[in-house]
Amino acid sequence: MAGYIGNLALFFSLIFNGFLIFLLITRIRNNNFKNLKTINFFNNSIFFLLLISFLTLIYCFIVSDFSNVAVYQNSHTTKPLIYKISGAWGNHEGSMVLFILILSLFSFVFVRTKVSEKLKFYTVFFQAILILIFLIFLILTSNPFDRMDPKPLQGLGLNPILQDPLLAIHPPFLYFGYVGFSLVFSFALAGLVTNNFDKSWSKIANFWIILPWSLLTIGIGLGSFWAYYELGWGGYWFWDPVENASLMPWLAATALIHSNIVTLKKDKLHSWTALLSIFTFIMSLLGTFLVRSGVLNSVHAFANDPYRGVYILSTILFITFFSLAIFIIKSPKKSLYGKYYFFQRDNFILINNCFLIFFLSVVLVGTVYPIILDAISGKSISVGPIYYHTILAPFLFVFLFFMSHGPLLSWNKEDKFLQIKNFKIFFPISIVISSVIIFLFFDYKDIILILGLLFSVYLIVSVIFDWVSQKKLSLNFGRLVSHFGFGTLIFAIFINAYLSKEINAAMKVGDEIKIQEFTIKFKSINRIKKENYEEVFGNFLVANKDKKVELTPSIRKYDQPVQFTSETSIKTNFIVDYYFAINLSEFEKDKIMVRFYYKPLMFWIWLSILLIAFGGIYQTFRLRNEK
Amino acid sequence: MVFSKSTKNRLKIFSLVTIATSLIFFFIYNNLQKNVVYFYAPQDIKNLTDTPSNKIRLGGLVKEGSLKKNNNIYFFIITDLKNEIFVEYNGLLPNLFIEGKSAVIEGVLKDKKYFIASTILAKHDENYMPPEVANSLKKNKLNK
Repeated sequence: MAGYIGNLALFFSLIFNGFLIFLLITRIRNNNFKNLKTINFFNNSIFFLLLISFLTLIYCFIVSDFSNVAVYQNSHTTKPLIYKISGAWGNHEGSMVLFILILSLFSFVFVRTKVSEKLKFYTVFFQAILILIFLIFLILTSNPFDRMDPKPLQGLGLNPILQDPLLAIHPPFLYFGYVGFSLVFSFALAGLVTNNFDKSWSKIANFWIILPWSLLTIGIGLGSFWAYYELGWGGYWFWDPVENASLMPWLAATALIHSNIVTLKKDKLHSWTALLSIFTFIMSLLGTFLVRSGVLNSVHAFANDPYRGVYILSTILFITFFSLAIFIIKSPKKSLYGKYYFFQRDNFILINNCFLIFFLSVVLVGTVYPIILDAISGKSISVGPIYYHTILAPFLFVFLFFMSHGPLLSWNKEDKFLQIKNFKIFFPISIVISSVIIFLFFDYKDIILILGLLFSVYLIVSVIFDWVSQKKLSLNFGRLVSHFGFGTLIFAIFINAYLSKEINAAMKVGDEIKIQEFTIKFKSINRIKKENYEEVFGNFLVANKDKKVELTPSIRKYDQPVQFTSETSIKTNFIVDYYFAINLSEFEKDKIMVRFYYKPLMFWIWLSILLIAFGGIYQTFRLRNEK
Repeated sequence: MVFSKSTKNRLKIFSLVTIATSLIFFFIYNNLQKNVVYFYAPQDIKNLTDTPSNKIRLGGLVKEGSLKKNNNIYFFIITDLKNEIFVEYNGLLPNLFIEGKSAVIEGVLKDKKYFIASTILAKHDENYMPPEVANSLKKNKLNK
């Protein structure tokens, strides 16, 4: 029953959306931008209809209505309630409803802000077109309310590795980020079409760029955290195409945040900001395509229907083509010529924008090239982490250097000597700090490690210097926190990469092994039966010269579908993580395979990501209060 | 031909940007070529004229009854139902490495019949079969 209501709501939202577009076109033709009442009515209705549709879908999952295909394929009566709910967006169909709901939510909130009516009209128009495209896609190829008759008695269950509290919140965050960029995309097109792409555009856009960017940052962090503790390989970033898919819009948006500031402060770089606004959302769409079309093999590839892939791909091409056409025809023509100084803040931002675009191209090529090669020549290849590390690392150092000095420069005049003075302060301090760290903790020296530590410390020092010399802290607080977080992130990543240790062994209960400086003792084993799985715990004692840690990793055997997963056991003292995972082997039934990882500064990686996101969120709230 | 000053400027900027972009893409592409790992099915390896010296991935089914252990080193056979390749692996077997099921392995070829594996790639789901493996199996089933 509920399914019918949801389906009906979905169809009505499509019809209302058709009306809205029709209404907007006639109004735009008549140049009538007054009276938003009817527009608002339709816009609100679409949002509430989609909300009803999404809530009914959640309801179907809660009551396990297996006559609904999506519920049947992804749920089971014995699943805990939270995973029944998160199952609603843990599959292709449900996640597309969430996608469209967020598109509509942003439009819903946007019309309530202070923007000139003409801009509002066009923005809602472009947003409505996006909603239309994806609603048609949803209803034609992946309707979440498809029914089956007769109604099955039991569902197939959700993939056990997706049954995790973090995965209940990771997709919504990621989607708010991804889809959130749609609004600045529509707003940019609106600005271009109405020739309103200027400082005041930037001022409004700032909020709509930084908000989704912050949420995307959290979403990426959550996904990475999940991969760290759930997959059991001790890593947090694998350069998997699915991870890259979320990193690409993040890089583009980071560039956009900065170029938009230049547009706001100096009335420059209009075309570049407009282009980045378009590009960021296209990267989001590309991410959606990669993840959803089944061209990649990963946990995220729910859809293996090639028709869906073709539809999303042609949608991307369509949107790219038309938005770029609008950009080319209407690109803001403002003179770029003015006094040009190298040591000026906007120039440093521009330089770092180039770096970000370079990073983006590297990730883009590494992600897309294997897919294109496979499509053309049928050869399958994979691009490993070494590709990314060797290309990105050297440029990252220069990037960090410019990032350290950029915020200290003036917007309007050249102050080369001040920067040389700053350099003379920062450089010795960072040399001393990083050499102390290297001599204390590392018995071998690697040039990449040294440079990585040096420049991340350099950035941290410069941010602290900047922080202390602020006259009015609240003005730049968001930027300072985010930049500080980025510095600690890179620092933690380098320390972690070079100081991590890994031990692999096969053990029986009672065994004790000594490898490197660690002694691992397998003390006992015990079993627990839970609602939808059976769990076997191993008790291990890990000791090195100054610490003893007890760890209890486990293996779960899920009933529906039958599958084994390894649950890791991690103990942290905020400096070092002791990480343990076990798994069974079909071959040696009397032994258990154990993996122990020693992972320094993991906590700092998560903390840094939170700091980066927090800086953004602080900034959006400050922008809100300013109005 | 004579260009005006602003056209000359634009040409200068345009050519600089073009050169920079092509250099960057050349650089990226070069690095990519050095670091990609090619995927082979046992049939592909049979068709090779010489054995590649760099790291490759091998995918297929783990032949039933072929898994053996000797001094902490595992031995097994990867098959595409037609050709077989003997694999040696020193490491831990992941949860879902099961005889008769599909597996993808990374390592180097010693010769066309013998593969030295360094990693067995993890799978997320017991019944999942990598598309590359599925393709090679399909081909051989049809040819039989």
